[in-house]
Amino acid sequence: MAQDLSRLASSEAGDSYALLPVWRRISFQVLLLAAVLGAIVVASQIFQPRFSADAGRLLSLALAPLPLLLWLLVSVWPEFRVARPRRRLTGVAVLSGLTASALGLPLTEDFFRIELWLPLAAVIQRVIGYTLTAGMIDVGLKFLVLRYLIYPGALRMRSDAIAYAFASAVGYSFYLNLAYIWRVDPAPDVAAIVVLSNFAIQLASSLFIALGIVESYFSDAIPLVLPMNLFVAALTTGLIRPTVAGLMSGPLGVTGSADRPLFGLLMLLASLVVTLGIVYFLYSNSERREREAYGRRGVNDGI
Amino acid sequence: MEFDTGRSPAIQITPRQRWSIALSYFLIAIGLALGLNQRDASLNMSSVYRNVEAGITASYPARWLLDESGDYVFRVRDMSHRGYQTLIEMRTLPIGPDSAERNFLDHLSLQRAQVLVDYTVLGYDSYRLPDETWAISMSYSFVARDPSPFLEGVSSIVNGLDILTLRRGQALVITFRADSGIYRRELETLRWFIQHLEF
Repeated sequence: MAQDLSRLASSEAGDSYALLPVWRRISFQVLLLAAVLGAIVVASQIFQPRFSADAGRLLSLALAPLPLLLWLLVSVWPEFRVARPRRRLTGVAVLSGLTASALGLPLTEDFFRIELWLPLAAVIQRVIGYTLTAGMIDVGLKFLVLRYLIYPGALRMRSDAIAYAFASAVGYSFYLNLAYIWRVDPAPDVAAIVVLSNFAIQLASSLFIALGIVESYFSDAIPLVLPMNLFVAALTTGLIRPTVAGLMSGPLGVTGSADRPLFGLLMLLASLVVTLGIVYFLYSNSERREREAYGRRGVNDGI
Repeated sequence: MEFDTGRSPAIQITPRQRWSIALSYFLIAIGLALGLNQRDASLNMSSVYRNVEAGITASYPARWLLDESGDYVFRVRDMSHRGYQTLIEMRTLPIGPDSAERNFLDHLSLQRAQVLVDYTVLGYDSYRLPDETWAISMSYSFVARDPSPFLEGVSSIVNGLDILTLRRGQALVITFRADSGIYRRELETLRWFIQHLEF
């Protein structure tokens, strides 16, 4: 594991492009996080371990900063070893976490009070509702952070937008995870699902925001492209959040309703793969078009 | 290590990019406004309850659960709320020629003191109804415990308000109860309920 990380940090690609490659690191983190959290969920289903209240709480709380620690290790730390580091990564993550704490969660829970009316709504209404409330709040706040911290001052190459958007997803989801686990005190397997769920939702929306910024800034696309990407980013929240919750709730029986965390886990894994696949495809396509347009060969934008 | 932007620091965003940023803010503002509208529509959606026998027509939040099985005309309850679920209950009582409003409230208090934990009357007041007539109100509190002994729930303090008015030879009692933490906020629902009540 340590060798893998060190290899990632000082890969050939990293040495040859003075900029740290982004996509491989993001894929590695997503894969590792999904593997660890997925293993906890599956192991809990198979072995059904019983923890004391304190041990269970400690284990659940330990899962909250997992994406953040992984990101610090795989994405931030190696930045100090390249010639042209992305110096605002931690700033973006910290400010995203603070906006989630000061505005994101209070707006979602206390102002929109979505738990009061959205879970009971019909499927289509739920998707639209989550898109227009939680989705728009998250996207709006993360876009504001990116707009004022990195756009356009810290954008040197396309991969910068992806790296900073990933930082905002990590920072934002960290606070959501911590707040939920601290207040609700769920069992470790539920905490694992919550951490993966918040991370997947924030990652999906952040990547689409980044795609919009990339198209707007580097390709000087028509003015509608960025807002359209922001809408798609909010829509990902509207699609993933109710779907995961719906899949995890089992059918109502005489003994009550049982949770089905494996269904939720599969849905989250699928959404991570699909989101990464779509955004990477659009990103590569846009990069290829620019390369063709400028007739540049052999330029690889830190992939 | 110097921060290398790779681009000229003097570079400015183009008018097209400025437009896209402005449109993005506009989209977020419009999206949130639509979300607010959807929230209000869902939270304020109402159902109508009609009881010809008692002569009552009332509107209540559509999300609330209607129950007519008890010794009351009807009761609506916010089942989506965790902990003590906010309720509005209506009952009618026959009155004699010399009955005073206060007697009914005292009678209710005596009954409740036997079944509710730490039942305390907090005070009496008058309440102005939408048709400009005055009713008498009684506020009280008690401790609510989860009825299931298997659930290790923490007891909650509940605030209640009875509004009593005498009409057409009977007393109408509107009972409102909510967790003390959200009581003030939920009073808005009671006001809205009374506003749309026909009796």
